[in-house]
Amino acid sequence: MSESKTRMQIKKRMYFVLFCCTLLFAALIIKTGYLQIVKGDELQKQAIEQQTRDRIINSKRGTIFDCNEKPLAVSASVETVTASPAEIKANSENISPETLANGLAEILALDYNALYEKLTKNTSYEIIKRKIEKDEADRVRNYIHENKVKGIRLDADTKRFYPYGSLASHVIGFTGLDNQGLEGIEMVFDKYLKGSPGRIVSAKNAAGTDMPFKYEKLVDPQDGLNVVLTIDENIQRFAEKHLETALIENKLLKGAACIVLNPETGEILAMTTKPDYDLNNPFYIQDEQIRLAIEQLMPEEREKKREEELRKMWRNKAVVDSYEPGSTFKIFTSAMALEEKVVSLNDRFFCGGSKRVGNYNIRCWKAGGHGSQTFLEGVQNSCNPVFIEVGARVGTERFRHYFEGLGFTQKSGIELPGEAMGIFHSPNYFNEVELATCSFGQSFQITPLQMIAGVGAIANEGKLMWPHLVKQLTDSDGNVVKEYESQFVRQVISKETSQQLCSILETVVSKGTGSGAYIKGFRIAGKTGTSEKIPRGNGKYIASFVGFAPADDPQVVCLVIMDEPSAGLYYGGQIATPVVRNIMDDVLNYLGIEPAYTPEEKETLESAVPNVVGKSISESKTILAGSNLKYRIEGAGNTVISQMPKAGIKVNQQSTITLYTEENKTVTMTIVPNVLQKSVVDASNAVSKADLNIKIVGAGSAPSNGGIISYRQEPAAGESVEVGTVVTVEFRRVEAGE
Amino acid sequence: MKKGQIDFQFFITVMALLALGLIMVFSSSSESARHIFGNAYYFINRQLLWAVISVVAMMALSKFDYHRFGKLSFPILLISGFLLVLVLVVGEEINGGKRWINLGFSTFQPSEAAKISIILFFSYSLSKNPNILKTFWTGLLPYLAVLGIFSGFLMLEPHFSGTVVILGIGVVILFVGGAKILHLAMLGVPAVVGGWILIFTSEYRMKRITAFLDPFKDKLGDGWQIIQSLYAIGSGGIFGLGLGRSRQKFLYIPEPHNDFIFSILCEELGFIGALVTILLFAALIWRGIRIAMNAPDTFGSLLAVGITTLIAVEVIINIAVVTSSMPVTGMPLPFFSYGGTALFAIMCCMGIMLNISRQSVQK
Repeated sequence: MSESKTRMQIKKRMYFVLFCCTLLFAALIIKTGYLQIVKGDELQKQAIEQQTRDRIINSKRGTIFDCNEKPLAVSASVETVTASPAEIKANSENISPETLANGLAEILALDYNALYEKLTKNTSYEIIKRKIEKDEADRVRNYIHENKVKGIRLDADTKRFYPYGSLASHVIGFTGLDNQGLEGIEMVFDKYLKGSPGRIVSAKNAAGTDMPFKYEKLVDPQDGLNVVLTIDENIQRFAEKHLETALIENKLLKGAACIVLNPETGEILAMTTKPDYDLNNPFYIQDEQIRLAIEQLMPEEREKKREEELRKMWRNKAVVDSYEPGSTFKIFTSAMALEEKVVSLNDRFFCGGSKRVGNYNIRCWKAGGHGSQTFLEGVQNSCNPVFIEVGARVGTERFRHYFEGLGFTQKSGIELPGEAMGIFHSPNYFNEVELATCSFGQSFQITPLQMIAGVGAIANEGKLMWPHLVKQLTDSDGNVVKEYESQFVRQVISKETSQQLCSILETVVSKGTGSGAYIKGFRIAGKTGTSEKIPRGNGKYIASFVGFAPADDPQVVCLVIMDEPSAGLYYGGQIATPVVRNIMDDVLNYLGIEPAYTPEEKETLESAVPNVVGKSISESKTILAGSNLKYRIEGAGNTVISQMPKAGIKVNQQSTITLYTEENKTVTMTIVPNVLQKSVVDASNAVSKADLNIKIVGAGSAPSNGGIISYRQEPAAGESVEVGTVVTVEFRRVEAGE
Repeated sequence: MKKGQIDFQFFITVMALLALGLIMVFSSSSESARHIFGNAYYFINRQLLWAVISVVAMMALSKFDYHRFGKLSFPILLISGFLLVLVLVVGEEINGGKRWINLGFSTFQPSEAAKISIILFFSYSLSKNPNILKTFWTGLLPYLAVLGIFSGFLMLEPHFSGTVVILGIGVVILFVGGAKILHLAMLGVPAVVGGWILIFTSEYRMKRITAFLDPFKDKLGDGWQIIQSLYAIGSGGIFGLGLGRSRQKFLYIPEPHNDFIFSILCEELGFIGALVTILLFAALIWRGIRIAMNAPDTFGSLLAVGITTLIAVEVIINIAVVTSSMPVTGMPLPFFSYGGTALFAIMCCMGIMLNISRQSVQK
């Protein structure tokens, strides 16, 4: 091959090499461009994820207030200790992980081995201890400073604190470790309460330590909003106090629930379920027996059982559990019948102890029956055959219409988790027999909340209001951000029917089965209820009473449900009425509602003992007579040196005041008689026979006091006391009465 | 020797690549230098010193008639062959390979010398025997034998990427030098089989293949390097994070001033920077081939082609690796990757190129 030919071939082949290189370079440009332009965003996102350390600054959770701005749930500042094991490793020349673990374990009361493991983990972020208080945090800070520790940080955090402990626990709910709402209002209003957390994003290198340059981006946390409840802490406390007493006295196996409602606005003033739990320690099972039983279980069953029991403990019976309302429902059957004008107060009915409906013989709760009675008496007696008849007059169509109108087929929409809806017959299976049982509140279920909302409508001129728990949301400066207005749902019955019902229900308390709820001057209206749990015949009952007052202008409705009483008595008229009575007594006084006494009530009013010490005998006689009080003189002096009972103590009219007229008087002592299980008259006689004064509380003051007997006295029988001492005797209705 | 002007465009391209390379060495190495030596300037100071020495050497060689290497080419081949054996004995083992000889003041890879000696020897001997490649047994085979022996020594270190480069430039010089296409095509069969065997007999090469096929499978292990490289390249976007603003150099990419320096460049200077860099290399190769075409004789042509191919193969493999276009192999980027003796060797080659261009037959 010639020289030039060789050169030509070399040149050609070089062009080929150049061509190959060009192709490959073009391919590399395309690949680089693809990675940077097409995949750039995605790759950059992943890169940033590994290059940054994201620290969350928790926002301050809003406070939950009662309607008077009393804080029910507050967030306190605490700190959380975190570690960056990579930085600790990098700083091990200054302080070894062993020494550090030792020091921190001591300050924070942690297990050394577990802590050491965390500090030497191959990660860049570990939580060492959550939510420590300031003094503990200060000790950690000092330790860090003194030992030149790197990689241990204290992050601001908050901890939920409930100043009233268990008060309204089922309403308020609680939060978890990350301050997230887990139950109650804390859960439902979580998105408002929690605010938005801030973040510190800082750059880190692959070793997990900070970059030499400052790259920090701070997003400020937004504090959460405060929730102002309609709950009144005082009313809540009254309700809880009396319900708790009832829970213990009646040995309620399945607990109890109580709701207090303002019928005009639908605001819930109190809502409680007993037994309750400590909001500051919500994962602690209060019932010691259950706790012990769980400890006996095998480890694998233990957690499951524990969780189950906790859920039970957290369960808000007033909202989540439906029940058969029993005779309290007769309020609504009456409302339907009166509204539809298919019955009038004086219509006569006959109760022979049972009534035949279809192929069934439905019995009245009173064996032997009530005989002939008017409709009004039927309500007072809570007579089932009367209501079967009345229900039949209303008819299935209209019954269903009112039933729906009262809100019993829908959730009320209250701001609590897990609200139940109740159970009712489907239209195709709602016939004569079902109607008959429904007329006196059986064969269906509603929730206590639905019940009280319905009664609220009856008491509020027939207007059903939305029952609600939250009044407003406020920001950290106290400005109202959102107002939850009262919502009118619908007119259920006319104002006239409502007024008529209010006076009927007042007579249930003054003359009928509800007499245990009677309070002088406060015109309580209400209806008792007792339902036997399914399966029938097992002796398990739910006793209830729903009452409102004053009957002519209802301000407060109160419902008490008692599940499975096991201390003997089980009728609503026996055990539920005193609870409502006591709550109402406290609430009405607290709300400043003036008592309005009837002339008969005025005669039996208590009066405060006037002060006659230092006065002459004759003067004293006049003063005491003016207060309708009797007197007995001890000694031969002319001036009263001391008196018993002391001035200011409230005693019944016609009580006897002992007046001492000599120095070194010998105090006459007497033995307190046993006045338990006695009628009001018998007890009064026994007390005055022992030269003592009686103070009658409970159902004893009702005008119709048949079947009412004493069940508690103070001081106890057999104690030796000064003559004239006031013996407080509490009465209740023991006569069966649904 | 005919005295003419050096190829000025080629020279400017070299200096531009060198300058850009130095900037990137400083930018990418400062953090690891600070981390390891407590001195951010540790690497750049050394590299700068070597750059000065290298530029002097390049200028000197541009005045040194390349024909005088002709007679030296065989002794140089023998010496570099000896060094390849020597490194197996006295070499410092780094990352599981004996690739470096410690000279006291610096370290040096005999493979660098081997590459240049192959280029010199092949181009000189082929230019002396223009038709020798017409035959296989007495023509092509001896050259292949030299390549085979050198590759064998390199694989013993082991030094896979060095082997690939030596084979690449060897085959290209033989191709341009007149080897029969049929002969070279026949070589393809044993090459593919040999490559296959090499890959499947080594666990670490096998791992690199699987890491290449799915780097995200073992994110923290075998896939780490390549994923970090992709993060860096992707983070750059079109315009980059700005010079010195790389985040991936903060210990994410191991030795960011070495083989993965191009990823850092992509991150800091974006696609624009990457494009400029690749085009600079392309320009260098284009001017290199032009110098080869215009060389006064076959020796000059083949020498220029060999050197140009050396740059081209290294650039292509390096960028292909960091963009995850091929499995990871330790290939530095000429002019960019940190390493004094490697830079010195490249710049010496550039000096030879300049001298060839000086003797160019047509302009």
